[in-house]
Amino acid sequence: MTTRRDFLKCTCLVPLAPLVPSLFTQAAHAAQAKPDSRSLVVIQLDGGNDGINTVVPYEDDGYARARSKLRLNPNRLHKLDDSVGLHPSLTGAKSLFDEGQLAIVQGVGYPNPSRSHFRSMRIWHTARFDEEQHDSQGWLGRALDIEKRPGGVPAGENSIYVGDQQTPVALWSRRSNAIALTRADDLVLEGIRMLMPSVPGSDEDTLERFVSRQVLSAYAVAEQFRKQEARQRDKSANYPDTALAERLRLISRLLQSGSHARVYYTIQSGYDTHSAQLYAHSRLLEEFGDALKAFLADLSHAGLSDRVVVFAFSEFGRRVKENDSQGTDHGTAGPVFVAGEGIASGLIGEPPSLTDLEDGDLKIQTDFRRIYATLLDQWLTVPSKDILDSAFRNLNLFKA
Amino acid sequence: MELFTLGIGHYTETDVKESARALTGWTVDDDQFQFSAARHDEGDKMILGQEGAFTGDQLVELLLNQPATAKRLGWRICQTFFGENVVGEAELSQLAEGLTSHRLDTNWALKTVLHSELFFSEKNFRSRVMGPVEWIVGSLRALEQCDPPASTLGLADWSERMGQDLFYPPNVGGWNGGRSWLASRTIIARANYAHALAEGKLWHPAQPPSFEALAEKHNPSGRFEAHITWFAKLLLGQASPSFVNEILTAAKDAPPEERLSTAIACLLAHPQSHLG
Repeated sequence: MTTRRDFLKCTCLVPLAPLVPSLFTQAAHAAQAKPDSRSLVVIQLDGGNDGINTVVPYEDDGYARARSKLRLNPNRLHKLDDSVGLHPSLTGAKSLFDEGQLAIVQGVGYPNPSRSHFRSMRIWHTARFDEEQHDSQGWLGRALDIEKRPGGVPAGENSIYVGDQQTPVALWSRRSNAIALTRADDLVLEGIRMLMPSVPGSDEDTLERFVSRQVLSAYAVAEQFRKQEARQRDKSANYPDTALAERLRLISRLLQSGSHARVYYTIQSGYDTHSAQLYAHSRLLEEFGDALKAFLADLSHAGLSDRVVVFAFSEFGRRVKENDSQGTDHGTAGPVFVAGEGIASGLIGEPPSLTDLEDGDLKIQTDFRRIYATLLDQWLTVPSKDILDSAFRNLNLFKA
Repeated sequence: MELFTLGIGHYTETDVKESARALTGWTVDDDQFQFSAARHDEGDKMILGQEGAFTGDQLVELLLNQPATAKRLGWRICQTFFGENVVGEAELSQLAEGLTSHRLDTNWALKTVLHSELFFSEKNFRSRVMGPVEWIVGSLRALEQCDPPASTLGLADWSERMGQDLFYPPNVGGWNGGRSWLASRTIIARANYAHALAEGKLWHPAQPPSFEALAEKHNPSGRFEAHITWFAKLLLGQASPSFVNEILTAAKDAPPEERLSTAIACLLAHPQSHLG
């Protein structure tokens, strides 16, 4: 059992020397991900995106009946086929669809849907329904743990969360390190003489060990980032002036810096439109579509298109019938967006009917775990069955 | 129900819908609470296994009387004052029962907790990660650097960089706290804060703090090494000779007038400093 005394052991580092203890430097070199390794970028549309007004079933009789104040004019939609069209603000997304880089999976959810933000989001993050498991590892965390790494030592950052909230549960893992940042500056250590803690040798998950490991990891990350920034010239790409676009730009910079992270995660908040939905939703979708387009264009310019897939989801859709406050309440199924050069553009699944409902809500068409399974098996190449506790039939998301 | 009384697992979707009916008529007009009788659903509702024509007030009464509410309140208090693996199911039940018999009197609960042996037990020391505000304020108080006080707006900014943007929690549930306070960005912020404190940048205008006076007060005419040992014990709880040596080495190259503050910055940036 590690004592407090052991915990205080450390080695002193002089500021001019790299702030990375030799152990980690070696590990980082050994675990160098190959330059062409694939990454997944996750955009969480937080609050419950109204799928019905995002991928609009304009031909469904139920639409006009359920939505009066919130009904979108079919002539202004970006029609994708004879039955659905994208919200007018999703010009960026339509452009990607036409360029053959965007797949939209319709009616995604899970059995016995929860309408609690927390519970439903935890289900998406962990791909589990048992609440006891909602505070442990997430689906991506488990995937990163399983991945074979040379030398078996976890490298620097395996996943990066860009935002100012706490690291999403989806990234929580046993061995990999999720780093979180809001701005590039966040990773800059003001040159201070550091005491680098040694991580107590045992495997116990004690608080001291956790803290030592986190601190060590943070300082290692700062050093790596400093080195990368020094090598890279900042070419300003063309991004819209929105918060989401800024975060995607930072992710692009991290990718271009040669970051070894396999997963990047960011959150766009505000989708919980219980009232006055029209303007707010339109603004959010515009921010989302334009940021996504700019991001993929930037990656293409940097020669990284074949290495990145973007996955955007929300914890649930919203109710079919609008409420009395020109908004919508928590619902069930919703669309999921998957984008990237390697993605087979198109609509997957049938749009859920607005007349054949379950207790006033859309029926689920596709279990979200099928999307996870597809991304795990075919993109991250990690066996999905081990992570999702069960086999889920893959979807045709990728180009042949 | 989910966050503020019962907690998940103690109510059903039907309870939520029926409770919504009980709450009809409650509204806010011109920043004042109003009850509009005309909009209130006066029918019978079935909530948590009880039937009645519940009004909003009666719903609140019903929720407060649930054992689950007392348990959850007790749990929240324990989350705040106790570290990891300190409170067991037995103690928690005991607290919950006490809360029930004292009509959810939080003053009583806090007194009980703060007077308890468990609170002062060895296993409750340094068993939790300190949140940004308590760590920031704690560091300044421990180092007796409150007069003149640092810029509170500046401190609030540091707190935001450490993940606690005051009055802006990430969602209705507040901050998760605990281990989640320590992510790369927030750890780097804590290290940068330690540096800023040592350089006097927390004050406007900047003024390097004088730790010598504090050191002398507790170690009159002590050697530098004795001072370091004292500060290590103050900030980290203990100081082995080898550890003190490491700090001496770290501070050795600093200009003489900065050696002590450099050493203190090192201590504050050490993992152990984040535990309370």
